[in-house]
Parts: sequence; structure tokens; C-alpha cells
Amino acid sequence: MPMQGPFYDGLAALQARRWFLQDSALSLGAFALPDLLGSDPTKRGRQIPPRAKNVIYLHMEGAPPTLDMFDRKPMLDRLSGQKCPEEFLDKERFAFIKGHPLLLGHPHGWIRAANGIEMCELFPHLAQQMGETTLVRSMFTDQFNHAPAELLMFTGAPRPGRPSMGGWVSYGLGSENGNLPAFVVMLSGGNLPSAGKALWGAGFLPSVHQGCEFRSQGDPVLYLQDPAGYDRARRERSLRALTDLNRAQEARTGDPETTARIAQYELAFRMQMSVPEAVDLASEPAEVHALYGTTPGETSLANNCLLARRLIERGVRFVQLFDSGWDIHGTNPSDDLMTQFPKKAQQLDRALAGLLIDLKRRGLLEETLVVWGGEFGRTPMNEERDGSKFLGRDHHPHCYSMLLAGGGMKRGAVIGATDELGYRVADNAIHVHDLQATLLHLLGVDHEQLTWRFQGRDFRLTDVAGKVRPELFA
Amino acid sequence: MRRTPYLLSVLSPALVAIVAVACPAQSPHWAYQPVQVRAVPATANPAWVRSPLDAWVLAAMEQNGLSPAPRTNRAAWLRRVTLDLTGVPPTPAEVAAFVADTDVDAEARAVDALLASPRCAERWTQWWLDLARYADSQGYEKDALRRTMWRYREWVIDAFLRDLPFDEFTIDQLAGDLLPGATDEQRLATAFHRQTMTNTEGGTDDEEFRCAAVIDRVSTTMGVWMGTTMGCAQCHDHKYDPFSQKEFFELFAIFDQTEDNDQPNDAPVLRVPSARQRATQKVLELELTALRSKWQADDAAVDRWAATARAGLLAFREARATSSVWHVLGPIAASDFHTAHATAFAPETEGVKLGADQQGLRWRDEPGYRDGKVHTWSGDNSAFYLHRTIHAEVAATAVLSLGSDDAIKVWWNGAEVLAKEVGRGAAADQELLSVALRPGDNELLLKITNGGGIGGFYFDLRASEFGREVAQALAMAPEACDDHARSLLRREYLARAPEFAELRTRITDAEKEFLANQGDPVPVLKELPPDKARTTRLHLRGSFLTPGMVVQPGTPACWPPMPADAPRNRLGFARWLVSRDNPLTARVQCNRVWAELFGAGLVTTSEDFGTQGEKPTHPELLDWLAADFMAHGWSFRHLLRTIVLSATYAQDSAASSAQREVDPQNRWLARGASFRLPAEMLRDQALAVSGLLHEQLGGPSVMPPQPDGVWMQLYSGEQWQNANGPDRYRRALYTFWRRTSPHPAMLVFDAQSREACVLKRQRTNTPLQALVVWNDPEFHEAALALAERVQSARDAGSNDVSSVRWLWQQCLLREPTVPERERVLELLREERRHFAADPAAVAAMVVGGREGAAELAAWAVVCGVVLNLDEFLTKR
Repeated sequence: MPMQGPFYDGLAALQARRWFLQDSALSLGAFALPDLLGSDPTKRGRQIPPRAKNVIYLHMEGAPPTLDMFDRKPMLDRLSGQKCPEEFLDKERFAFIKGHPLLLGHPHGWIRAANGIEMCELFPHLAQQMGETTLVRSMFTDQFNHAPAELLMFTGAPRPGRPSMGGWVSYGLGSENGNLPAFVVMLSGGNLPSAGKALWGAGFLPSVHQGCEFRSQGDPVLYLQDPAGYDRARRERSLRALTDLNRAQEARTGDPETTARIAQYELAFRMQMSVPEAVDLASEPAEVHALYGTTPGETSLANNCLLARRLIERGVRFVQLFDSGWDIHGTNPSDDLMTQFPKKAQQLDRALAGLLIDLKRRGLLEETLVVWGGEFGRTPMNEERDGSKFLGRDHHPHCYSMLLAGGGMKRGAVIGATDELGYRVADNAIHVHDLQATLLHLLGVDHEQLTWRFQGRDFRLTDVAGKVRPELFA
Repeated sequence: MRRTPYLLSVLSPALVAIVAVACPAQSPHWAYQPVQVRAVPATANPAWVRSPLDAWVLAAMEQNGLSPAPRTNRAAWLRRVTLDLTGVPPTPAEVAAFVADTDVDAEARAVDALLASPRCAERWTQWWLDLARYADSQGYEKDALRRTMWRYREWVIDAFLRDLPFDEFTIDQLAGDLLPGATDEQRLATAFHRQTMTNTEGGTDDEEFRCAAVIDRVSTTMGVWMGTTMGCAQCHDHKYDPFSQKEFFELFAIFDQTEDNDQPNDAPVLRVPSARQRATQKVLELELTALRSKWQADDAAVDRWAATARAGLLAFREARATSSVWHVLGPIAASDFHTAHATAFAPETEGVKLGADQQGLRWRDEPGYRDGKVHTWSGDNSAFYLHRTIHAEVAATAVLSLGSDDAIKVWWNGAEVLAKEVGRGAAADQELLSVALRPGDNELLLKITNGGGIGGFYFDLRASEFGREVAQALAMAPEACDDHARSLLRREYLARAPEFAELRTRITDAEKEFLANQGDPVPVLKELPPDKARTTRLHLRGSFLTPGMVVQPGTPACWPPMPADAPRNRLGFARWLVSRDNPLTARVQCNRVWAELFGAGLVTTSEDFGTQGEKPTHPELLDWLAADFMAHGWSFRHLLRTIVLSATYAQDSAASSAQREVDPQNRWLARGASFRLPAEMLRDQALAVSGLLHEQLGGPSVMPPQPDGVWMQLYSGEQWQNANGPDRYRRALYTFWRRTSPHPAMLVFDAQSREACVLKRQRTNTPLQALVVWNDPEFHEAALALAERVQSARDAGSNDVSSVRWLWQQCLLREPTVPERERVLELLREERRHFAADPAAVAAMVVGGREGAAELAAWAVVCGVVLNLDEFLTKR
């Protein structure tokens, strides 16, 4: 059994309280502290033999044009420039497309990937790693704007207020490292995701389950750094005095909260050491930097991929990466298929390939589920907003591809298919809720059992839907 | 959970009836029974009992084999009650005065003073803001700022200041606009339900988010007043509590008739001047009256002016001005807009040379550029020169009407007469220039500089700046002028005569200031006129896209009905909520206030009084409190006073492990409450003891420091500007609250984003909290300021021991024990030693490195420890 994290119940002193927590843990919500300290998160979460221990989730914010990456459509290339079929427009609401749009073929070349599929030439490194992955070509969602679609992807509902996927996992499984949070979030690309911090919020779960944002500039964790004039020794001396004084208080009042607070201060002190160590990329050898394409000190997806591996290695349960800049509308060169997309492709290609190689050679890929995707797909039609001459695609909820690897996934598999023009799913449609149910399943959690009572009902990540899709995993 | 199948939800009314018949009547749910006052129980220890409240608590203790804890000492009691009532601790002087006051009514007088203080209004406003889901932004993806919402917060502060009875407090906020003769303040109160989120993202359906806001209003109202969670009934009949989906939409119908519908500007809004603004307006009104009385002209002055103006018009006519074709040179591109505008290109340095090359370009004729029209071109960051001659037969004055896209410079007969670096689209009369026409040719040169996209200009030559009507009046012979013409001329004279220029400026400024003080636009509720009333339909499966049957406004059948003659609108509903027959409102409020003081309610699920909630531990006490609250005119102060003056409240919070084992959660109240202070109080307390707190009642939200990069921008350029001045040290309830990015230190201490109403905050205990109090620069600043106070409190007789005692009194309101004192002195000695050897650390901690800095630094470390003490962070 994994060691429980400090954020949950790593406090030996509180073991004594356990006897009264057993009851209250069943009626969650009545009393916050026992929930936090948990009777045993693994018992709460694990109902199924787990295939994966950890998750690294790479979200490409804005929605990448997966049609151009993983899902070649010869018919679309052939008909490029012609009006799209009338039936595409029937009762359809687009975010930006007006009138009768023209089909748009893939404007770059194709190469053969390790799993035999044709893949965009802009991803030569990733193509070599496709044998490690399960490619899902038949994802779909209900939402066609960024914020609601991202919320649906990460909280199971298109409006703010629900706990995030990582929050649920933290609540269900806890952390494996006493000195690091269970759920860490890192950002690259320059912008916050459209739906903001709700994507890693705790919703109505205790706030301890919210994603802890590791920042690439300033303190990696807010307020981690001692004030000016403190060094480690001074902090330690003041901590010792604080602990001694608090022990006196503990003896006077007999309050277990005081006991817990003493432990949390000790832990905070240790975190001040363990977090900077965990995020110190400069300690990696040159060969690793070459593999990922990383430069210490930068804010980049590559750096975050390497950090993700370091955190997973140290027992962080769920690492969530958001990389912005994938909203390829084609209104100008900074969001089009010819300039921006290759730029993003270059940032992703080596980083993700490097992550897969690195995890594999360290034996971490078996127990780490790597998920890559966006919040929806993009239209097979050129958006041409206001007559734009730049190539781009509008938001498209009906189908898109996602990539999964490690943690019990099939290797080199391709699941599902879209129609000849890449407009709708043709085979084996997989809804966002199904993906969520499947991810939890791989972690050993039954998505229908991991619930929290709020406003009179039991909530869960998959809302009132979601089916585990066994065809995805080995 | 599983959703009720669709079919079942449609059939539900019938099914509910069948189920009701099939299941023999259980006793009705306790919370839906009328509030009953029962005989106060006898207890074995009547001397302990101060009020019926204590009798009920003691009776329950005795039933559970418990007995009350001793009274806490008086200093600790004053700290507890001062934090509870005002959110800020007492000063050592206040404690000393109170301890010395041995009158029997000392406690009552202390409580009355606290209740009447503005701090008390601030503290309970803070509490209400969670329930009101108060925020300074609209929420959703863009989360645009609502910079005027603080006016609602002021309304709440004012309501607590005057102890507005809770029934009126309710009615004003839910339906103030519908009250007969509603005051502006009552309308302002309805901003309570305009705290709902507004979605301004492109392509969203306003109706979808209007419905989301109405649903939020139903859920919030039912949660806050009735302790009832109705969210489930939005999609299907409630699984546990007796509400059908139809009943949910009957409540929805009550809130469905307001004008607002998810508009980016949050319309409808109301401008209500604050008290300060009203006072300013009064002063301005007097000033304007005085100024306007001076703005008068006699007939002779008007006539003299009109004669001159008339002569000018005649001269212009005689000048017979004729313009040449436009000559154009451009585009001349530059690196950026400013350079293009500011650089003097050849036509400026060499003069216009129509036949020759200038800037590598040649002048071209543009016969198509006719006067009185906008003409456009393209060329980013580029200058265009336009030249023409205007021929006059005699001298006269004329007016050039000009427009430009974007920047403009004008030369008239070689002299620069205008230069303006602006960004705009071209239109008539953007610039009016009065110029002297000399006989013969006059040279006009324009330089128009375009930033990006379309550029262009507008030109017309006019006789004067006068409008058509005034020009006509001037065209008449003076003796032919009728009254209308004369009054036109008088008005024109007053508006233009240079002798009034200063007066006009003063009047304009005063008028502007008057408008600026009419109050900021605050979103409010406004009922649709009857002819525009919405027809409310049930939303099948909770989706607004699938409307079902028409429903009428109404309240659920499980509760006493609204009176037959009550209006079926928000006003009738609000009155129903606070009617004495309502079994829930008073119970829910009393329980919530209880939870705020004791850490948990008598119903521990203070957010859920339904069948899935916990039963009250002390049902008779809850009813007694509710009845007493209503009997005393729904007075919050009375309710707070009743609780804090009880013997129950005054118990010591210490407990042996054996006592804790018997009642770990203190549900039987055989000891005092103790729990970690909420986020806002932690900040306020640190500021208060360090002397930094800047107390100012009300006003707009402020931005105390937060780490860089937290407030990441979505779309707008709105920045978090760390306050420097007094606003840096205001109480936490004034901190700007953006839903997607609340202050991070607050989130760490369990504040929520307020996207929806927060009925109960979780209370957690995490290492991230330790990091905040240790390392947040604001807490560190407080430690330094406290160290300064330690120094300045010293006198000739002081020594380290007396300073430690001072510090303990200041922060913990008690004497240190000997071991505590010795431990702190040990730390102080260590820090002195280390700082003595490390001047760099001293300089880092005490910026400026002044005399005695090392001593201050050592004390700052000690003060930092005290600010982190469990005892300091906890209310006991």
C-alpha cells in the first residue's frame, strides 16, 4: 500500500483519532478534517486492480487540428477548395464560420509512423514513438466553445463549480510522497486556459484537492520562499521554537488540530526543500536536455514534460500540463496552419517523444498513463473569417483524436474512425465522459463509486454518464 | 448517483402519488414542522444556567452524562467574543479595562459596545458575502470586472450597522424594487441576485445563461433562506426531499420575470450616489446655481457681437473662395505610427514641390476627393500629404472642418496650425480651425498619418463655426430678428464670447463632477413590464432547449402556502420566506450564526435541512432560538447578544483526551469552541496587532499585494495593481474578488471562488497554510512592524523579559508562562548572535540597514514565530 500523503493523513499523531473517523468518513461533508485526513484514501478510491499509478495529462489548449496530425483524409485533400456538403450545415452552429464554407485539405506532407499510420511530417520524433501509443480517432464532445469544452473535459460538466479530474484522483488515491502535493499543474504557451483555474480546482471537494500550480517563474509554489533575511538555518531555528511553543499549547488544550498544525509546519519546512529540488532541471544531464529539447529557466512545454517526469518519479499522482496557442483559426499568421501550427508542432514533437522515451527507459511508462489531447476538434472546412486568406479551421465538437500511452494502454493501436471527410465519427464513438471513466478505471477507481455529497446529491466526475471503454486498454 | 430515467421524470406526479399511498405516512420531516416553543427543562445545576439557551444545552449534556467545562478566564472570553463579533482582536488595554470592570453587567456592556461598532458590521458583512456569492467580476471564461459591485457591499455594511431586521433585510435584497415607493437603497439591495455570473463569450446563447442565472437565484435563495438543496429538482424530481421538478420551475417562475438577460454590460443597472457622493452633489448644485447666475448677457452686448459675426459672414461671401484640386503625396511608410506622424518628410522641410520628386514619390492630383465627404486609403504606419490652394478675392475669415484617420497636422499659409497624434476613424467636424483668408491664393497642407488598416480624411470649407439656424439668424437684418432668432443669437453669444470662457469652463467642470458623483451603475433586479412577461415552462431534463409544460409561480406543497392574496412574484415570495409560519428561515439563520460562533451548527449540515441532512442535536434549543429571534423583530444583534452572553459560550475550550473521546466533535457543547480563524480574520488580526491595519468603513475594493503572475490575463488588460498607501492594509473584506483569480492566500485558507453561493466553507489544515503565514510578504511585513512596536514600547525600565511580556499581551492577551518566555528568549539570543555575524542578512531583512537594524531583525524573527503560533491562529 502506498504511503499516504501529508495532505491527507500522513500524521502519525492522528492515528489515535482514527476510531472516531470511521463513522464520519461514511457521511462525508459533515466534518471537514476527518475527510481530509481520510480514513484511507486508497480504500475510498480503489475498487479495481490498478493498471496505472500516475497520470501525466498534456492538454493542448485551444484544440489542436488533429485531422492534420493523425487522421489523413485523402478525400478531403482531393476536394479541398470545394464547397462542403450541404448536410454539414444542417442545424449546425459554428463558432465563427459563416455562409457556405470550403473544404480544406492538409497543407503539409505526410510521413509513415512507427505504428503504420500516416502522420503529419511536422512530427518526425513523435512518429517514431507511435508504437507506444493508443491513438483514438473517434473522440467527441458536446461543447463548441473553449471554456465549456475544457470544463467538460476536466470536470465532467460544462460550467464552473465541479471538482477537476486531478482533484478527484487526489481525493480518491492521495499522494505517494509525503513532501509533495498529489496533484500538480504546470502551464506553458503564455496564456491561461480559457476556463481558467476551474480546470484544476477542487470544486466542492476540500480545497486540499485543488491542483497545486507549479510556476516556472518566481516561487515554484506560491509562498514557498522564505522572506528576505531568512536562510535555512534561521527558518529551522524559528520552526523549532514555534514547535516547542505549540507543543505547550497542545498540552494545555489537548486539541488534535494543534497536533496536526505542528505536523503541517514541519511538512511545509520539508516542502521548501523538496519542491525546489524536484523542479531543478539544471541537475539533469545534457543528454536528457537534448532528448526533450529543454533549456533550464525557460517556460516551455518541453521543460514541463521533463518536470512532469521528475514529479512522477517522486510520487506525485497527477501531473496536468496545459499548453496554450493551439487555437488554429487562420485569422492571421499567429493562429494559422502554415505558421503557427508548425511552430506549435515543433514545440510539441520532441518534448512528447522525449517524454515517452524517457519514461520507458526508466521503467515508468508501465505505471504512468500519458494522455495527450485538446478540448474538441477542428472543422475539415477552412474558416476564412471575414475573408481571411490565412488557412485555419473552426471549432468542431463532433470528432477529434487523442493519444494515450503507458499505464496499461494498448501499444500501437488505432481505435475508432471518422468519416471520409473527417466531419463525424464513423466508428466507435467515445465521449469525453467515457474517456474519464476509462482513465479512472485504469487507476483502479470505479467512476460511479468515487462520489461526494453536495447540495443534496452525490456528484462524480462523469456526472450522470460515462462508460469504461475496455477496447482502449490492453 | 443515477439519474431518474426520463420516462419516470415525466410520469412523476402520478408516481409520487402512488408511492405516497404505498408507503404509510412516516412522521413528517422535523424541519418542516412549525417552530415550537417548549417549556424550559429543569436541570441539576440551575446556578450555571443564564438563559433558556443554557438550560437546553445543559439538559442535553446531562442526558449524555456530561457536565459543563469551567468558565474561560475573562481575558480569553473577551478575545473570543471580540473576534467573533468584530473579526479583530481586542487590544491589551481593552482587555485590562474589561478585567478591571467587575460590575455584574460588564460583559453585557462590552458586548453591546462591540455590537454597535462598525467593525461588527464589517465582520458580519464578510460572512454574508459568501452567501451572496459576492464578487467584483462577471465569472465564466472572460470574467470581466464589475468595478461597481462594492456599492452592494456598502448596502450590506449599512444594513448591519443599523441592525436592519432580517425580514426587511430579506425583502429588500430579494424584492426591494417591487416594494411600494421603493427607495434607491432598496433597489440597490437587489444586487444580491445580480451576483450571478454573466457569460460574454462569443457565440453563447444569452437565453441559456439567463436561465443559468435564474436557476442560481432559485438555488441560492433556497439554500440561504430555507437550508434546502433544490439543485437536483432542476432535472428531475428530487430523490430524497419532497420536491417535484414542476415545483422547482414554479420557484423558477418567480425569478423568471426580471429584465436582465446575460448582457455584457449587466443591464439593467441603477446609479445611486453614496452618502459621500450625495454630499458632494449638494455642494456642486449650490456652486452651479451661483455660476449660472453670472452667465448672463445684456441685449447690447449680444447686438455688438452679432454685428461683428454678421460682418464676418458677409466678408466670406464676398471673398468667393475657390479651392484647387487636391494634390496627394504618399504613402510614406515609417517604422511605427509615432515616427510616421512626428518625422518631418520632404514637403515639411522643403516645402511642397508639385512637379518634382519628394520622398521618392510624385504628387498626384485627386479630383475625386470632393469636399464634405470622407475619403479613404490604406497603408500601415504611413503618412499622406494633401495640398491645395484656396483662392479668395478679398480678405475674410473662414473655418476648416477636418476629420482624420488617424493623426493630423495642418499648415495654413506655411504656418503649422494644428498637430494631433490620435487614433480614430475620419468624420466631419473632428477639428474646426478658424483661418484668415488673404486675398489671392492661400496654401493649405495636411498631413494625415494612418496607424493600421484603413486611413483617410474629411475636409470642408465653411463660412463660420455656426450651425445653419444661427447662420440664418445672422443673415437677417437686426431689426427683422424675431424673438426666436434673438434667443438663438443670445445663446450662441453666451457659448462663444471669449469674456465668458473661464466661466464656461468652470460650469462645464462642475457639471462633469456632478455627473461623476451620481453613483456608479450597479446591476439590479428590474421586473419586466406585464406586456413583456415571460411564459415559464418546465425544462425537460433540465435543458432550456427542451421546454415542457407551462408553470405558474408558486411555492412547494410541503411547506405552508403563500397567502391567497399575496402577489405571485418576488415580493410575495420574499414575504412568505420571512413569515412567522415559515418553519425554516429563522431556524436556518440561527443555526448558521451558531455555526459561525461554535464552528458547527446545531444542525451540522447547516447547508441542508432536508431529509439527507443531519438532525439537530438540540432541536428544542434551535426552536427556542428561532422563536426568540422572530419575537425580537428578527434582530441580528439580539441573536448574537443572546448567544455570546450565554454560559454555554463562555466555557473553556480545553479538554482532556478522555473528554474528547466522549465527544470528539463537541456536539454536546460541554466545552468552549475552538477552531482556526477564517482567511479574512487571519489577515485582519495580523494587521491589527502589528499596528498596520487601516480602518476605513466601506468604499471600492482594493488590491493588497499578491505574488506576480497569479492574476493571469484573459482578453482584457485589467491589471492587479498592488496598492501602496493605506489601501494595502485594509480589512480583507475589501480585497478585490475576481472569480477566476481570488487572492491566493484566501484560497489556501478555504475561501472559494464564489462562482456560486458558498453555504459552508470547509475548514482544512494544510502545509500550504503554514507557507502563507510564514512567507507571504504581507505577514512578514506585519512581523517587522510588530518588531518595531516592540522596540518603541520600550522605556528606561524595559528589558527583554518585559518586551516578551508586552509581545504576549499584544498578540495573545495574556502573560507568557516561564517556559514560554525562556524559549522565546533563547530564540532571541540565537538570532542576535547570528545576525551579529551576518550583516548581509540584517540588510536583507531590514531595508535601509539603519541604527539598531540587527536588533530589529532578531525581534522580527521572534514576532514571526508569534504570528504563526497555533494559539494566535485559533479562536479559543
